[in-house]
Amino acid sequence: MIEFDGWLLDLFEDEKEGVVLYFIDRKGPRWRLTTPFPVTFYAQGSSEQLRALWRYLRALPEITDIHRTQRMDVFRRQWVPVLAARVQNPVALQPLIQNVVSRFPDLEYSDADISITVRFAAQTGATPMSYCHVVADEETRELKEIEMLEDAWVMTPQPIPFHILHLSPSGDPNHGRPRYLRVSYGKRENRYLLSDMQNVLICLRATLKRVDPDLIVTDWGDTWLLPLLIEKSKEHHIPLRLNRDTGRDILLKKELTYFSYGQIIYRGQQVHLFGRCHLDRKNAMLWSDYDLDGTIESCRVTSLPLQVAARVSPGTGISSIEMLTALREQVLVPYQKQQAEFFKPASDLFSADQGGIVYQPLIGLHRNVGMVDFTSMYPAVMVYFNLSPETILPDGTGGTPVPALGITIDNSQEGLVPKALRPLLEKRIALKKRLAMQKIWYPPDRKRIEHRASALKWLLVVCFGYLGYKNARFGRIEAHQAVTAYGREAMMQAKEAAEDMGCEVIQMYVDGLWVHHPNWSQPADLEPLLLEIQERTGLPIALDGVYRWIVFVGSRGNKSRPVANRYFGVFQDGSIKVRGIDARRRDATPFVKETQLHLLELLARHDDPFDGLPQAVKYLRTQIRKLRSGKVPLPDLLVKQRLGRKLEAYRTLSPAARAAFQLKSVGKEPRPGQRVAFLFTRGRPGVHAWDLPEKPDPGSVDLARYETLLIRAAGIVLETFGLDEKDLTRLMRTDLKQLKIPLLK
Amino acid sequence: MGRTLPSATQIMQQDEAALGRFRRALRRSDQLVLDDLFNAAQKHLSAAAYAANILPFESFLLSMLLEEHKEVLRLRESVEGLQKRHD
Repeated sequence: MIEFDGWLLDLFEDEKEGVVLYFIDRKGPRWRLTTPFPVTFYAQGSSEQLRALWRYLRALPEITDIHRTQRMDVFRRQWVPVLAARVQNPVALQPLIQNVVSRFPDLEYSDADISITVRFAAQTGATPMSYCHVVADEETRELKEIEMLEDAWVMTPQPIPFHILHLSPSGDPNHGRPRYLRVSYGKRENRYLLSDMQNVLICLRATLKRVDPDLIVTDWGDTWLLPLLIEKSKEHHIPLRLNRDTGRDILLKKELTYFSYGQIIYRGQQVHLFGRCHLDRKNAMLWSDYDLDGTIESCRVTSLPLQVAARVSPGTGISSIEMLTALREQVLVPYQKQQAEFFKPASDLFSADQGGIVYQPLIGLHRNVGMVDFTSMYPAVMVYFNLSPETILPDGTGGTPVPALGITIDNSQEGLVPKALRPLLEKRIALKKRLAMQKIWYPPDRKRIEHRASALKWLLVVCFGYLGYKNARFGRIEAHQAVTAYGREAMMQAKEAAEDMGCEVIQMYVDGLWVHHPNWSQPADLEPLLLEIQERTGLPIALDGVYRWIVFVGSRGNKSRPVANRYFGVFQDGSIKVRGIDARRRDATPFVKETQLHLLELLARHDDPFDGLPQAVKYLRTQIRKLRSGKVPLPDLLVKQRLGRKLEAYRTLSPAARAAFQLKSVGKEPRPGQRVAFLFTRGRPGVHAWDLPEKPDPGSVDLARYETLLIRAAGIVLETFGLDEKDLTRLMRTDLKQLKIPLLK
Repeated sequence: MGRTLPSATQIMQQDEAALGRFRRALRRSDQLVLDDLFNAAQKHLSAAAYAANILPFESFLLSMLLEEHKEVLRLRESVEGLQKRHD
């Protein structure tokens, strides 16, 4: 017998062996174990149809058991009789289901497309990256026992002793061919010239063998590096063992463009390995927020494999958590969901089909403004008010009525969605509390906790959307409407609490309130308000901070028209918060962003922002001089805009589209959803795509255009203090004429 | 005695109640202004009843405007008076 404590690194289905598992032993060795893993799917429908299905399945060799049983159907709100069929090898399930569905299309199928990691976690409790005690047969290497030592909800999990190999090219391969490849492991780093591929391959092969990494962390590994290495390895006949599991090909997932929430999204191609994990930092969702710790956290709580968790949107994670809970509770997971909305009068849509409360802020400068927000408001509403597809009572009788909607909630038992979310929410609140307590000192693990908290945050952010999405496994539109209705009610109660205590409500935005009280300026002053709101609403609320001052900016088109989420302000501790203006926008040029943010910093240095104005104007002058004299490095002038459609579909060409056409002419056509980086240039076509092979001529850069952008961005910040875009333009021109600085070459 | 139609007072109360959600979502300071408007409309209830408009709320709105305009006239007069004294 083999016995050890360690971490589950990876698991996948195998045609012969059922499931293959890779473990990191805490004492050092890496283990490859296997286990047979039969999986069960269910069918429900008329008895004749089920009998026909039974006759058909009985004859198939891959089916090892068929029997009748009962399972919970959340949409019918009752236990239903089902036919259960067990498939010996999980690999056989997908083809079988497709076959069965086409033969017996009238039956409803469940548990037919659940990923192997979710099934394994439901059965054993072990999610990828979890720490467990393992017993296996020494001869056959078959898994005998697995017991969780640390579940996903442990607050301080032990660090995993990964062997990590970093591979990164010297530059962005989309921009130009990188010169060398950086290979680092621990503290060692080597650089290999990419012009000598044979050498790169030989050295990399040796490194892979010596290091035997658990993780290969790359830059552009999905879209460029690994495909290149694989191709060259074939060409030079130097086999590279990127996979730890021998005899398997690397899994290549194609690139994809899709439409989601009014945006075109582009996802690059992916390279997945077996027995070790490949993470591409440039192709990972939210890597900047998550890093490795956040990715591991999301992997543990969702039971998605590491390579998948790093690349999918948090929505897939939420689905996965819900399925895991369903499997544990013997709830059917619908295969292709067929469920319609309840019938309701059109007038109901007026009250039901609303989002969160969004106020029009009071435009301009406000001092001593406290910002409070409900912690993960929508998930908290779901958990505390028990909102789940099956807890919604259609006829509006019995149960707890939802404010302003004609539906009621069955509170006799906890719903599936609240059950799935509760531990997630509790862990997030606990991590947030821990971070709040650490505000004063900065322990080394603070960043790591932040990454983990942020992984949980994103999961909770999307879980609400999944409740309302008709095609989501456990979505029901009425539950979704109930969430926003409770959310609006809570905001109203919070507003009333604040006003009862003598506050002025400056702004409300979905789950947050900005309030001003003449006598409140320190965080402690708001304590009573927080308690009062918590008391009235029953939801957790926290203080985001007290702004020394905050400015709500008007709309770009009409300055006197308020916009909900465009503001900047300075907290009591001097930190700055910015929303909706250039400094936060991903398409703004770094130079403009940097200038705008620094202007804010200059104002923030003074108790009264007006005192910072002279310095701000002086700084803006130096920045403009820097721009005009050509001293701003070109990468700082790059604009990065997202392509909204296919190139053929453009009628009037936006600058981004013109840049994309330039790229197309050299054979690099960007896909919709990708960002295109370019410079504004003088004359036609007015842009120069950054990823073109020829370097842009620094003299052709349209400096006047950048100047306009810069002054506009400065105007947004300084306008409230009496200097708008027009004033600034006048000020800067006269100034520069007096200084006799030559205008453009 | 029973009524076939609700009285103007009742209608005003109903309308005020129907605006409850609107009122609730206003900032407290604006709520007080809204209440003021209804108080102004109250002054002309009998006229609204006499008009017997199918949409009584129109009469209420006019009543509010009426009071507002009276206030404008009054303020204009006092501003002009102040200006004269200043000159």
